[in-house]
Amino acid sequence: MSGLNSLDSLLAEAEKGASEVGTRANLEKLKASFLGSNGSLTQILKGINQLPKAERPAFGKQVNEIKRHLEGLFSRVSENISEMELKSTLGREIDPTLPSPECESGALHLLTQVRENICSIFRQAGFSVAEGSEVETEFFCFDALNTLPDHPARDLQDTFYLPESLSLGNVLRRGGERYLLRTHTSAVQIRTMLERNPPLRILSPGRVFRRDTADATHSPNFHQVEGLYVDRNVSVKDLKAVLDFFSRSLLGPEAKTRFRPHFFPYTEPSFEVDFQSSHLAKVGTEWTEILGCGMVDPAVFEAVGYDSQEWTGYAFGIGIDRVAQILHGVDDMRILFQNDVRFLRQFR
Amino acid sequence: MKISFEWLKRYLPLECAAEEVEEALTLIGFEVEGVDRIGIPLLENVLVGEVISMTRHPNADRLTLCKVRIRKADEANEIVCGASNYNVGDRVVVALNGAVLPGGVKIKRSKIRGVVSDGMMCSARELSLGNDHDGILILESCPEIGTPVNEVFPEGDVIFDVEITPNRPDCLSCIGVVRELGAFFQLPVSLPEISSEDPDGSASPPSDLLKGVRIETPGNCLYYLAYSIVGITIGPSPEWLSRLIMAIGLRPVNNVVDVTNFVLYELGQPLHAFDAAKIGGQTIVIRQAQDGEEITTLDGQLRTLKSENMVIADLEKPMAVAGVMGSIDAELDEGTTDVVLESAHFAPTNIRKTSRQLVLSTDASYRFERGVDPSLTERAARRAIDLIMQVGGGRCLGVPHVAGELPKFDREIEIDADFIERRLGFEVEKERIWKIFRSLDLEVGEPVGGNDGRAVRIPSHRADLERPIDLVEEFLRIYGTDRIPNAEVSAPSVAQEDDQVSQFRAQAASFFRAQGFNECINMSMCELKTVDAWHGGDAPNLLKLANPLTEDQAYLRPSLIPGLLDNLRLNRFRGNDIERLFEIGSIFRTDRGKLWEILSLGFLLVQAPRPSGWLVREEPDFYTVSGLVERLFSLLEADLADLNFQPIRDDNTWQKGHAGCFGKFTDGFEAKVGTIDLKILKSWGIEGIVLAGSLSFLPKFLRRKFPTSSYQPDSPYPSATKDISLVVPETESAGAVRSRLESISKEAVVDQFDVESVSIFDVFRGEGLPDGTKSLAFALAFRSDQRTLTDNEVNSAFEQIVLRITEGTGYQLRS
Repeated sequence: MSGLNSLDSLLAEAEKGASEVGTRANLEKLKASFLGSNGSLTQILKGINQLPKAERPAFGKQVNEIKRHLEGLFSRVSENISEMELKSTLGREIDPTLPSPECESGALHLLTQVRENICSIFRQAGFSVAEGSEVETEFFCFDALNTLPDHPARDLQDTFYLPESLSLGNVLRRGGERYLLRTHTSAVQIRTMLERNPPLRILSPGRVFRRDTADATHSPNFHQVEGLYVDRNVSVKDLKAVLDFFSRSLLGPEAKTRFRPHFFPYTEPSFEVDFQSSHLAKVGTEWTEILGCGMVDPAVFEAVGYDSQEWTGYAFGIGIDRVAQILHGVDDMRILFQNDVRFLRQFR
Repeated sequence: MKISFEWLKRYLPLECAAEEVEEALTLIGFEVEGVDRIGIPLLENVLVGEVISMTRHPNADRLTLCKVRIRKADEANEIVCGASNYNVGDRVVVALNGAVLPGGVKIKRSKIRGVVSDGMMCSARELSLGNDHDGILILESCPEIGTPVNEVFPEGDVIFDVEITPNRPDCLSCIGVVRELGAFFQLPVSLPEISSEDPDGSASPPSDLLKGVRIETPGNCLYYLAYSIVGITIGPSPEWLSRLIMAIGLRPVNNVVDVTNFVLYELGQPLHAFDAAKIGGQTIVIRQAQDGEEITTLDGQLRTLKSENMVIADLEKPMAVAGVMGSIDAELDEGTTDVVLESAHFAPTNIRKTSRQLVLSTDASYRFERGVDPSLTERAARRAIDLIMQVGGGRCLGVPHVAGELPKFDREIEIDADFIERRLGFEVEKERIWKIFRSLDLEVGEPVGGNDGRAVRIPSHRADLERPIDLVEEFLRIYGTDRIPNAEVSAPSVAQEDDQVSQFRAQAASFFRAQGFNECINMSMCELKTVDAWHGGDAPNLLKLANPLTEDQAYLRPSLIPGLLDNLRLNRFRGNDIERLFEIGSIFRTDRGKLWEILSLGFLLVQAPRPSGWLVREEPDFYTVSGLVERLFSLLEADLADLNFQPIRDDNTWQKGHAGCFGKFTDGFEAKVGTIDLKILKSWGIEGIVLAGSLSFLPKFLRRKFPTSSYQPDSPYPSATKDISLVVPETESAGAVRSRLESISKEAVVDQFDVESVSIFDVFRGEGLPDGTKSLAFALAFRSDQRTLTDNEVNSAFEQIVLRITEGTGYQLRS
C-alpha cells in the first residue's frame, strides 16, 4: 500500500515541519504545502480515483483523518505563534528593583496635617467644620464678640485694615463698618450663629492675621482652629471634658491639662490651658500653653440674637502653627512658610 | 508687672516659699512669665575674709590649704579649698562653723583628707548670687574683713514678672495682687495705714502755693486734687525706699519722686509732684492742648502736641501731658521746697489715644488707660503725703484744691448658688461660695428667696464684675480649676457634615499630593511688584492694606503662582530636586471696583525631562496640566462635561499661545492653565519653562446643591462610527471646529438617530496642505435607541453631513 505509506511519511514530514516553523508566514506556507490546492495531501486525495472501488471508502476515511490531524496540528502551532507574538510585545524582562521614573508622591504641608489632625479629633466629639472668609468686618470680628471699640486689639497697631472706602464682592457686612483681616476665626462662629439656630457644634479652622513682624515665634499670618458648642446646660465641666479628650487624643492617654483663669472679651469664665505630656517634643514635662477657651459670654449670644438665659456654650481656640511647632519641635515659625521641599517631605 | 516677694510680705503674712506664690499666682489667673532672684538672704556667720597664705594640702594634690583672716585680732582660720582661682591678698566670703547657706548646707568644722578645715570659702552659687560655681567668689570691691556678707550684697528678694490681663487694672498694684493672694491663701491683708486725715471737709483750700485748679475738659478729666506741701528737703531717698524702688526695676530719683512711684506701685494710683514755684500764675488748668503746642517731657524729648491731647498747664505753659508724663518745666530740683501733689481721675480713652499717638507708654498712662479705682484718688494722695513728710520733712497745708466730681460707683449683683452650680456643671458647698466672695472683698448680703440668693456688693476696684457670670469666674478661680471633675464628652448621635469648602480643600490636596505635588503654604501678603505683574488694572489700589507693616507685605496676594515661583527659586538655589508644587488658599481679585476673596488652587510643574530619571519619559506639556484640571473638576461632582478650554487672550501672566482657560470667577469658578509668561519667569529669576494652573472658586459654587439625576436608559444597540478629516484655517481652534461639526451632524441626522459623540483623533500640518491651514480628523459615533444601524443609513447620513460641511462652512474635506 504505497498510498498508506506515503500518508505515514507525509504525517511525519508535517510534524517535523510544524516543529521547525517559527513564524506565521512559514506556517501559512507549510499549511499550503499540505492542504493547499496543490498541497501533497490534496494531491493524494485526488489520486483516490485510481484505487479500486472497494478500497476507496477506507482510504478516503484515512485521508480525512490525516487531514483533521494536520488541521489540529497547524492550529496548535498557530496558537503557539500567537502566544509568542504577544510575548514579544512584552519586551525584555523588567528589573523590579529599579525605581519608577514617574515622579514620587508629594507631601501635604505640616500645617495641613496638624489642622486635619485637630479637626478629626473634634469630629469624634460631634463637631463639624464651618468655613469663612479671611477678610472680615469690624462687626463680625470684634463688636459681636464683645470687643468694644477702644479695645487695644482693634488698634491699627495690631490689626490689618483694608482701605475705608473699599467694599467686597462676596463678604457681606452688617452696616458701613470697616473691612479687616480677621484676627481670629471666631467671626465664622458669629456668622454661623446668625444663620443657624442652636444647638450647634462647629469648628472653624483657617488663616488669621496679626500685625506682627515675622520672627521665630510670630508671623503676620498664622492658623487657628476654633470650636464652638451651644446647647442647653453646657457647663465648665463639659468644656474640661472635651479638652481633656482632645489632649489625650493628641498626646496620648497620660497627657494632663491645667486650666489657668484668663481673660478674653468673648468668654466668661475664660481660661488658658496648659498641656503636659512626655510626647511634647522639646518641652517634656513642663506645662506648655496650647489653647485658650471659656464659656461663651452672654453678650456674644445677645449680639447674635440667642437667648442667653436658655442657651449656654463653650468656645476654644487652638493655634495650629504652635501645635505643629511643639509636636514636631520646629523651633522657628518662619521655616513653616519657607517651603523647602526637604522640610515638606519630612512629614509625608 | 514686676512684683517683689518682699513687698508682698509687707502686707500679707506669707510664710511659704516663693515657688508657692508663683504657682498660686498662675492658678488664680496671673501668669508668672518670669522669676528673677536678686541679692542674698540673711546669712549668719558668713563674713568677709582675706587670704593670707596658700599651701598645697599635704595629702591631696588638688586641694589647697589656706590661711584666711576673718577678724583682725584673731588667728587666721585654716581652710581647705578645692578651687584655685584666687591669690593671696584676695577678699573672699567665708562661711564659718554654724553657718547655713541658702541651699540648706550646714557648715561644720571637719577634717578633709586628714586636715581640719575651719570654715568654707563660698562660690557665687553657694550664696545664691547666680550660677557661677567655677571658683570661689572674689570680692573686687575689697570690703573690710569681718564685714557680714549681708552688708556687702543687697537683701535677697524674688521678683515675679506677672501678666495682668486687661480686665484687672486693680492688680497693676501690689495691694491688688496681695488681695488676690490673701483670698487664695486665706490670709489677712494689712493695708498701709494712712495717718493724715482731712482736718475739715468744709474748710477752704489754702492759697499760699496755689490759687486755683480749673478743669476745662470735663469729659477727659473727671476729678482732680492738688495738695500743697511746704518746707520739703529734696534729697536722696532713705535706703529702705530706694531698695524697694530698685527691686521692681525703677531708678531712684529723689525722695519725693520716689514716694510717688512707690505709691503708684503700692496702690495703683499714678501721682505727680510739681515744683510749686514753677507753676505760673499759681493756677492749674486741665485742658486740651493747642495744636502744635510744644512740651519737653521728663525723658528729655521735645514733643509737639495736638488738640486731642490733654495737658496739665499753668497760665503760661503745659506742665505735663495729662496722665502720661510731666514736663521738665515744672520738675522738682534740688532747690525745691514747696510741692503741689496731683492726684487725678482721668477717663481712660483719651489717655490711651495720647499714649499711642506719642508712642509713649508710662507706668501712669498704662494704669489710666485701663482704669484706676476712683476711691484711690484721695487715699493714694494721703498715703504719699505721709511718706513725703516721713522722708522729706515738710507740712501739708490743709485740704486740697478740688476740681470736678468723683464718679460714683455703686453696684450689686444678685446671684444664687444654683446658678453657679449650673454654669460649673458640678455641686459645691454653698457656704464655700460666700466665703470665697468675702475673701475677695465682696460684700455678701443675707439670703433672699428660696434658692439662697444673695446680693453681692462690688467694691469700686472691681469694676470688671458686672453680671452673675462674672462671679462664677471669681468663685472658680479661687476654688481651684483643678477641682473641676473629670467627665466624658457628651456628643450627639448625629453630627453634621463638614462644610463643602473644607471637603473640597481636603480632596483637592489629596489629589495633588497623589500626583506628586508638594504642598506649600505662603504668606497672604505680597509686594507691589507682584500685584502689578499678576493683576494690574485697579488692583494696586484695592488690594493695598490700610496699615501695612512693611512695603514688601503691603498688598493682598492676587494669585498663588508668584509665591510658588518664589518657592521654586529657593529650592533650586538650595540644590533641591523639585518639579511639582501646589498651594490652596485665599487670593484676592478685583472686579468692577469691588474686591473679591477667592478660594484658589495653584500649582506648577517644571517643563523638563526628569533630571534623575534612568528611563526617559515624555516632558509634561499643556495637555498634562489641562488634564489635571479636568480630573480635578471631576471631584466637584459637577456636570462640567461641556467645559472647553479657550485660548487666554487678555492675561499677561500667561505666555500667549500657550495657555487656556474656562469659566469666570464671578460666576463661581475659573481655571487658567498653561505656560507662565516667559518675561515674568525671567523677572522672577526662574530659568526654563514652567507650566502652571490657577483655579478660582467662590464658596457658594462649592456649596451648591446638586439635583438628583434620574436614570436614562442606554440603547442596547451598537454604535456605528465614521471618520472625517477637514482642512481648516490655522486660526480656527479645534474646539470651535468640533462643536460646529457636531451641531451640523446633529442637524443632518435629526429624526433618524443620534450623534453620540464627535471626537478629535488627529491634528496634521504640512505636506499636501495649503499654507496657513491644518487638518483635523474626527470620529463621529452614531447610535439609535430603536435598532442596529445599517451601513446604508449611516453612509447616507454621513454624505448629508459632508455636503452640509463643504457647502456651509468653508472647511475642505481632506482627501
